[in-house]
Amino acid sequence: MSDEQSATGWHNYNKIKYVFGLVFVLALPWLPINQFYIFIAQTFCYTAIAVIGLNLLLGLSGQMSLGQAGFYALGAYGSALTSLHFGWPIMLSIVFGTMVAAFGGLVVGTYALRTRGLYLAMTTLAFGYVIDILAQRWVDLTGGTMGLIGISQFEGFGPVSGAAMLLYVSGLSLLIAQLISDYINETRIGRGLRAIRESEVFAASVGIQTHIWKTLIFSFSAALAGLGGALFVHQSGYVGSDAFTVRLSIALLIAIVLGGLGSKSGPIIGTLILLGIVELIAGVHKYGLIIYGSILLVVLLAFPKGASGILESILGLIRKKDTMVAASDIDNASEDIYFALNDLEQQSTSITVQEVSKSYSGVKAVDNVTVEIKKGEVHGLIGPNGAGKSTVINMIAGIYVPDNGKILLGGKDISGYSVAKRAQSGLVRTFQNLQLIEGVSVLDNVLLGIQPQRSELKCFFYWLLGRPTEIPEKKRALSILRFLGILHLVDRLPSELPYGHRKLLELARAIAQGPRVLLLDEPVAGMNSQEAQEIASVITRLRDRGVTILLVEHNMEFVMSICDQISVLNFGQLIAKGTPPEIQSNADVIKAYFGTGKES
Amino acid sequence: MTVANLVQIISSGLAMGSIYILVALGLYITHLTVHKVNFGQGDFLMVATFLMLGTRAAGLPLLVCIVLTLIILALMGWLLDVIAIRPLDRKKSLKIGAFSWILTTAGIALILQNVIELGFGKTAHYSPPLFSTGRDHIVQVFGAGLFFEEILVILAATIIVLGFYIFMFRTRWGKSIQAVAFNPEAAKLLGVNTTLVKTGVFVIASLLAAVGGMLLGPLIAINAHIGLVLTIKALIVAAIGGFANPVGILVGGILFGVLEAFSNYFDSSFGDLYPLLAALIIIAIWPSGLFSERHADVR
Repeated sequence: MSDEQSATGWHNYNKIKYVFGLVFVLALPWLPINQFYIFIAQTFCYTAIAVIGLNLLLGLSGQMSLGQAGFYALGAYGSALTSLHFGWPIMLSIVFGTMVAAFGGLVVGTYALRTRGLYLAMTTLAFGYVIDILAQRWVDLTGGTMGLIGISQFEGFGPVSGAAMLLYVSGLSLLIAQLISDYINETRIGRGLRAIRESEVFAASVGIQTHIWKTLIFSFSAALAGLGGALFVHQSGYVGSDAFTVRLSIALLIAIVLGGLGSKSGPIIGTLILLGIVELIAGVHKYGLIIYGSILLVVLLAFPKGASGILESILGLIRKKDTMVAASDIDNASEDIYFALNDLEQQSTSITVQEVSKSYSGVKAVDNVTVEIKKGEVHGLIGPNGAGKSTVINMIAGIYVPDNGKILLGGKDISGYSVAKRAQSGLVRTFQNLQLIEGVSVLDNVLLGIQPQRSELKCFFYWLLGRPTEIPEKKRALSILRFLGILHLVDRLPSELPYGHRKLLELARAIAQGPRVLLLDEPVAGMNSQEAQEIASVITRLRDRGVTILLVEHNMEFVMSICDQISVLNFGQLIAKGTPPEIQSNADVIKAYFGTGKES
Repeated sequence: MTVANLVQIISSGLAMGSIYILVALGLYITHLTVHKVNFGQGDFLMVATFLMLGTRAAGLPLLVCIVLTLIILALMGWLLDVIAIRPLDRKKSLKIGAFSWILTTAGIALILQNVIELGFGKTAHYSPPLFSTGRDHIVQVFGAGLFFEEILVILAATIIVLGFYIFMFRTRWGKSIQAVAFNPEAAKLLGVNTTLVKTGVFVIASLLAAVGGMLLGPLIAINAHIGLVLTIKALIVAAIGGFANPVGILVGGILFGVLEAFSNYFDSSFGDLYPLLAALIIIAIWPSGLFSERHADVR
């Protein structure tokens, strides 16, 4: 069982590990050990902070950064220079350095909004390079490779030495960083970030404002790198520009790859192994890059889950799978099956596609199409391949912008809304090639769709106290799963489910979003007839509850059996609309599907 | 600034620009076909410069050196695909998702840097010129003393780039590559050996890096770590062309090289940063590149 899943359960108090961590850090300087180990412990703490930041960015959100060393350098110089030149107190300098890095992350993060993976990798690589060059050549500011000396260090406090003070500050920072990282991992923020990692269109379609989330996570990750750098410069009172080359970015990446990308314990384990390797290769420094490069290759190719993944599979053999959902909760869900569906009917509304056109490079894919779907109606949109069905549904969902025309939701013009805003307004969709978060449980996938009931801060304190954070949301999710007849799969992974159940799960997430209008893009494509019947019965029951549904589908038997109204597109034009019997006898429709019949 | 200065600057800008174009075309062809690039493309070039240096120091005839370098780089391209790219296709469920190749190719680059450093040490090396008789072989053009080597580098690069374009757009091979780029499944049905094409593009990219390395070696001081900055600049040149437009790469490479030469002339300490920053800003404003075609996204 992976770290990601076990994180999602109803908690018993499991925060004791942080207390142990705290006690360990507090006690370390008093143990009869060599001062060298205190130094190593400090190094471990500030490095692990930077690695945690990278894990949130790359492991959880899927945003590549090859320039973490740049943010680390911003934090380092931000702190070193203010304390050296302005005489700021150390703590203030460190906070300032962290903020400089966060701001740098915000600026670079704007690239994350506009560009895809390769561009982001390129931009962050170039950013790290630029900072590296500035550190080396802007000698007046940074001292270049000669470096800055005499940066203030922590002073002793009573019996506590200066080195111990730095260890306390770094250790506490690490604990807090790990705490926040765990919180993100285990709650709805993590679900949102994972959705972004799966697909941004998908994330937006469940109402996540991807551009804000991506900038913020970028900035937060940069801030953690900067905090690491800021702590680093106060360790020995010296900082030289050669500390911030691309090798540092690579080393941080190696730590997280070694530890296990996206896992909660990955950064800690990975940093431990990294520091171990650094100490080991000190003797064979000549081969350092060969060792680094080989680690990247071997781990990514042979052990992509990293050390935490290996540990878990070993522990998993010993420990029984944690059940994530208590039996009593399942019983609770059964008491009020329709609790989650009660509000659907009154929310439900009409949707109108008004005189909408769309061309691609001069080809009219959709030509002045008007479709009205009344409240509570199941409306089918059909047509031969290339008729423009997908274009229409994507324009309704906001992925494509129409050249002309309007989309009205309940009479309100939503043409100017983003995908996320449309989703928040109750325009909910499923995808032709279905979209789920693969790494987390069925329950989490449904929870992704549910609006949170509590404020984030309240949620955080509940989580901190070990109390369940999302009881009403989980009840709602369980009810929806029961409604769809897949409650027994609640703690499975989507990858363990057969195709039909995966489709049902996606439908569950869509229902969880509280649709005012439900768009179903080929809901039974690729299904056998029994599975299709299951979906049909769900749709019928949703109609009974007053949900407005627009579906695009090729399976005629399915469409004819469940739709109230049907619109037929051909070559981008609306050629017919009416009830299923009307459509079946419509000459234009028959011509569009079967040709003119002249040969016969 | 005199006319002579101007001609000199443009000449050295064009020479560097043509190297960037060669490296960027390598990134372009693999990105077009398999949507991945070698983050060690610059390091492949670096290896080529040292192979030339080493083989020529051993006293082999120039032609033998060139052929050896080409063969070794072609092998490296093939190995890169076999070791660092293709195995990842079978691991689509990786957490890091679609971008493991960035780290595996970067891993290969690190190994190469280390190997070259072990072989040649950390100091800078100077590769003997390919065309001219010595490093100071100068010809007079418009009253400006130009390095003969630079002019021939520009000429040679132009010929190679022309050859590449003819290969890509006029031959059956090039058409197979484009077919795979457009739709690998359909290309397979049409009888294109997609596996061969997918490996082939990395071999071609490595060969372009080899040519770039042969030409660049005599122009600059080389060491084991010159690859990264070349990779970055080539990525940016390719991005100016939106990774999709070969003409954009041509224009982007020339512009970048010449601007950089001017910028270095006016500010010797930070000159190389300005074009980089300018290009990054351009990419922030036009993420799909200055020259990208608008592709209809019909699904």
